[in-house]
Amino acid sequence: MTWLPRALIGPGLWAVGFALVYGLHGLGCALGWSTQEVAGMTLHRLAMVAAWVGTLLACVVVVMWLPGGPDPTRRLPRIGAWIGLGATIFTLLPLLVATSC
Amino acid sequence: MTDTVAAEGVGDATLDIPANPPRRALGLHRELSRVWSNDRGWRGQVTAVNHTTLGLRFMATALVFFAIGGVLAMLIRAQLATRQGAFLDTELYNQIFTMHGSIMMFLFAIPMLEGLGIYLLPKLLGTRDMAFPRLTALGYWCYLFGGLILLAALAAGVAPRDGWFMYTPLSSAEFSPGINADVWLLGVTFVEISALAAAVEITVTILRQRAPGMRLTQMPLFAWYMLGTAAMMLVGFPPLILASVLLEVERAFDWPFFDVARGGDPLLWQHLFWMFGHPEVYIIFLPAAGAISTILPALCRTSILGYGGIVAAILALVFLSFGLWVHHMFAIGIPHLALTFFSAASLAVAVPTAVQVFAWIGTMWKGRPELALPMLYILGFFLTFVMGGLTGVMLAVIPFNWQAHDTAFVTAHLHYVLIGGFVFPMLAAAAWWMPQITGRARIRGLGEVAFWVILIGFHGTFFVMHLTGLLGMPRRIDVYPDNPEWEVLNLTSSVFGFVMAIGLALFALDLVLQATMGQRAGRNPWRAPTLDWAMSLPAPTFNFASLPGPRQVAEAAPDRTALALARGEGLLPGAPRGQRELLVTTAADARPDHVAVLPGNTALPLVLSASIGAFVLLMLAGLYALAPVALVAVAALAWRWHRGLATLAAGGAMVAVAPRLALPVQPGRGRSLTHSGGVALLVADGTLFAALIFGVAFLHVVAPGWPPPPAAAETATGAVLLVALAVGLGVAALAAHVTEARQPAGRSLAGWAVLGLAGNGAALLALALLAGWVMDDPTAHARDALRGVLAGYVGLHALICALMAAFVLDQIRRGEVPTSGAPSGWRLWQDFATATGLVAVAVVLGTAAVA
Amino acid sequence: MLLLAGCGGPLSSLDPAGPAAGATAVLWWAMLIGAGVLTLMVLGLLAAGFGRPRPVREGRWTVGLGLWFSIAVLSALLAAGVWVGERLLPRGDAVVTVEAHARQWGWRFGHPDGRGGRIETDGTLHIPAGQPVDVIVTSADVIHSFWVPRLAGKIDAIPGRANRLRIEADTPGSFDGLCAEFCGLGHAGMRFRVIAHPPDDWPAVLETLGEETAE
Repeated sequence: MTWLPRALIGPGLWAVGFALVYGLHGLGCALGWSTQEVAGMTLHRLAMVAAWVGTLLACVVVVMWLPGGPDPTRRLPRIGAWIGLGATIFTLLPLLVATSC
Repeated sequence: MTDTVAAEGVGDATLDIPANPPRRALGLHRELSRVWSNDRGWRGQVTAVNHTTLGLRFMATALVFFAIGGVLAMLIRAQLATRQGAFLDTELYNQIFTMHGSIMMFLFAIPMLEGLGIYLLPKLLGTRDMAFPRLTALGYWCYLFGGLILLAALAAGVAPRDGWFMYTPLSSAEFSPGINADVWLLGVTFVEISALAAAVEITVTILRQRAPGMRLTQMPLFAWYMLGTAAMMLVGFPPLILASVLLEVERAFDWPFFDVARGGDPLLWQHLFWMFGHPEVYIIFLPAAGAISTILPALCRTSILGYGGIVAAILALVFLSFGLWVHHMFAIGIPHLALTFFSAASLAVAVPTAVQVFAWIGTMWKGRPELALPMLYILGFFLTFVMGGLTGVMLAVIPFNWQAHDTAFVTAHLHYVLIGGFVFPMLAAAAWWMPQITGRARIRGLGEVAFWVILIGFHGTFFVMHLTGLLGMPRRIDVYPDNPEWEVLNLTSSVFGFVMAIGLALFALDLVLQATMGQRAGRNPWRAPTLDWAMSLPAPTFNFASLPGPRQVAEAAPDRTALALARGEGLLPGAPRGQRELLVTTAADARPDHVAVLPGNTALPLVLSASIGAFVLLMLAGLYALAPVALVAVAALAWRWHRGLATLAAGGAMVAVAPRLALPVQPGRGRSLTHSGGVALLVADGTLFAALIFGVAFLHVVAPGWPPPPAAAETATGAVLLVALAVGLGVAALAAHVTEARQPAGRSLAGWAVLGLAGNGAALLALALLAGWVMDDPTAHARDALRGVLAGYVGLHALICALMAAFVLDQIRRGEVPTSGAPSGWRLWQDFATATGLVAVAVVLGTAAVA
Repeated sequence: MLLLAGCGGPLSSLDPAGPAAGATAVLWWAMLIGAGVLTLMVLGLLAAGFGRPRPVREGRWTVGLGLWFSIAVLSALLAAGVWVGERLLPRGDAVVTVEAHARQWGWRFGHPDGRGGRIETDGTLHIPAGQPVDVIVTSADVIHSFWVPRLAGKIDAIPGRANRLRIEADTPGSFDGLCAEFCGLGHAGMRFRVIAHPPDDWPAVLETLGEETAE
């Protein structure tokens, strides 16, 4: 029965990462992080990129940790992990270009 | 016919349950009918809890509301047909478009899909009823009474008039005096009780009541879609309920959650509303897609292509659809970067949708599509929904959204998605399942005419509306004297709108003719492979005289199965103990776990929902002092409800299910249906709490008017009382755990139950002292209002847990063997109440420290 | 030609008169063509589905078309949307900053008089043509939305907030605007006008306006 919760890990990671980055965006704009420069980018963008990369790494770890195989109870959790990874890449990709505040 | 066997049934080879000896089908039928039938006459209407009756009643009521919403739409189209429409005055026009949207969303679409799920799921999964029959009935009555309150307001000319998304401050007490907005907030929330009830029992029924051997990975796709829908409803509706409660409290008691002058923010309403509002679209779409995934392969004489891919797509949709809500708010001035996240998520959600669409088309390639009436509606769905999806993708692109937002383009888009993605599939489903429901065949001809009239009417109405919007016509205006360029377009929409209405009337006529004059349909006229056809038509109240087992699931041949089951060769045949029984299985592998005894006919759901209705009406009337009296009645009835459950499960014997297989009536700890239902409900409750914490964080960070003036609450007395609150809840949780762990011992439990009662009582006392002495006036600033709501939330849960502890104490006094239903229910709720209480205390202390 | 003629109108977003509305209209026409092609493709596949059964490869439909094809299309769209969106943002200092203050049911506009004061008008906003103008949008009561379709997209007027929208008119002229967010009984009539003046006349326009409002 653990496979059903396991299938939720990937998309769940996306949800956490997405909410985290969006929350950091609101917080950073309110606290004026977008005017502080750190390591070639604003503190604001740095915080969001760090959260993004962290989520991506977590997704990659889950993809590698989950066992593979043709059985649906193994396939679905892995597909879930790929969904999490793909969604995290795609939905937060604009982080690299768009204007922050 | 070999090719109809497929994803639906490979079965579980490791699970072998021998068949019962065959009996006379008629004798079995009579035995079951005595136990399962509704009461006779009008009494039967009032006390029915059966899923077939209530599922049909949900759908029939939803169709009536669809007709009413449709008439309102025609009034809107009549008004807009000319530039200077003098047909309606602006006040009435505003009420009508608000009610059109609200009725179609809350009183048609959601109840319709609930009814479809409630009617079909037990039949598809091979069981006799939903997990909580009385809850089904409670949901129905709440839906009906809430809907009637809204209709009564419309008839009295005091209907809501602020648009179906009720943006505040337009809907605040200052700009919307009178009870119009209260009708929406209270009435819709009342109706939402039915959504949560349905979500809880759909989840539990799918996970725990599938026929033995029907693994989760092999169950009909419709069940997967409904599981996704129910999960989304559990998480999607709480933000709306919270928002409605907050706005109603602001209107009634002047607590400023949304008032900028006092630290509130109208954008909080928008966030909470669309956190519900966008997932809502997928809540409506998923069951419709489930119907298509069921009907399409059967009509193509093949199995669905890409079962696993579709399940993955559902999984992705369930999550991704919660990351799009801000695309309704692209024009409110949020920084571009935040918008791009939601733009990307709105585009990403098109991927799982595309996976499904291409899986369906591939299924048609794989099989031999038959152009029957349901297939016509499915083709109408493809054409309409694909176009609606593409305009949706356009609206996800931020610059285009800035132009098209709030114009007729969006009106066109949302009707393409909702009518294309929900109404067309539901029409297909009606054509498909009408023989199942009525036992009668369709009269040929009329349905096909209705289809073409609806299709032409729909596209004639809404296709040109895209252009109307791009030419600048905003939503929700009643006249446009200076814009002759919109007139021809609007007139076209109006004319075709009436064509569409005629088509839908023809469709309704066709249904009535089929139900009254159609010839008897043979069993399984469509040669479908699913269990919903493995019964006599129309379906008996108990569905199956004996329940399908691994063999029947594996065969996927309803015709043969129907005969064997009617003769009692399946599991748990008949009703030899004179009670409603069904099999409960394990969640993933569907192995038999125990036999559940369900409650029979009762008027309790009706009385309980009437009490809730009394509360709503007292609030509407502004009799705030009297409203708690209704809540006392609600609590007393809830107590009786739980007593009913405690006496039902009191047996404890083993029951013969099949030769060499006997199962207990008493489930192991944490394995009862009630426990599963409690977990599902607490998921929703936890989401509500999370939304509240989001509200606290949002106002602290984003709202203008912060920080507020220093509060008196941050005193030593306050801190002491908060600690007392936490300790009280902690003690209660300890008592609940001990009571559950030592359950079989019996005697020494009374002391622990008393301790639990005392712990919750101490928490309530601490809250009362905080509210009376320490806390600031909640009308002064949003911070104090939010603290008031947190206190109310914790207090309500402490009160519920105190009642649960008292219930257990009462059970001990009666000398009942404590059933796992009651004490574990207390432990579960107490854990939740204590956890949320501690979080609330931490939030109050944390925000005070930051300030 | 007939198609384009049907796209005119004082409030038409398809008849752009400024760079923001222009870029958005180009985006629209590109998306319309793409959507048309995709719709025809799906309908073609559907039509081809009627006939005798044929062997199908599952991955080709769900992964090939469903996943990769849609991701390719959507990625292109995301890039285009973000790129155009970035170009429309108010960046650097606009030459002129004006205020639009919404109330139930009308608009009051504020202009700089060049001497540190403001000139206020009701229902008509004056801007210089050919120059970016920032509009600070605020509300006195409920939520409204400032929209001049031929110049740019809309932005909401929200109590407690000041939102900034960049507009620009290519040439002098008069452009209609309206409140796009439902705001109660007077919503349909909550119109306004934007008059773009030749840049050379702008100081004189302000002078005249100042005299008119002083009277």
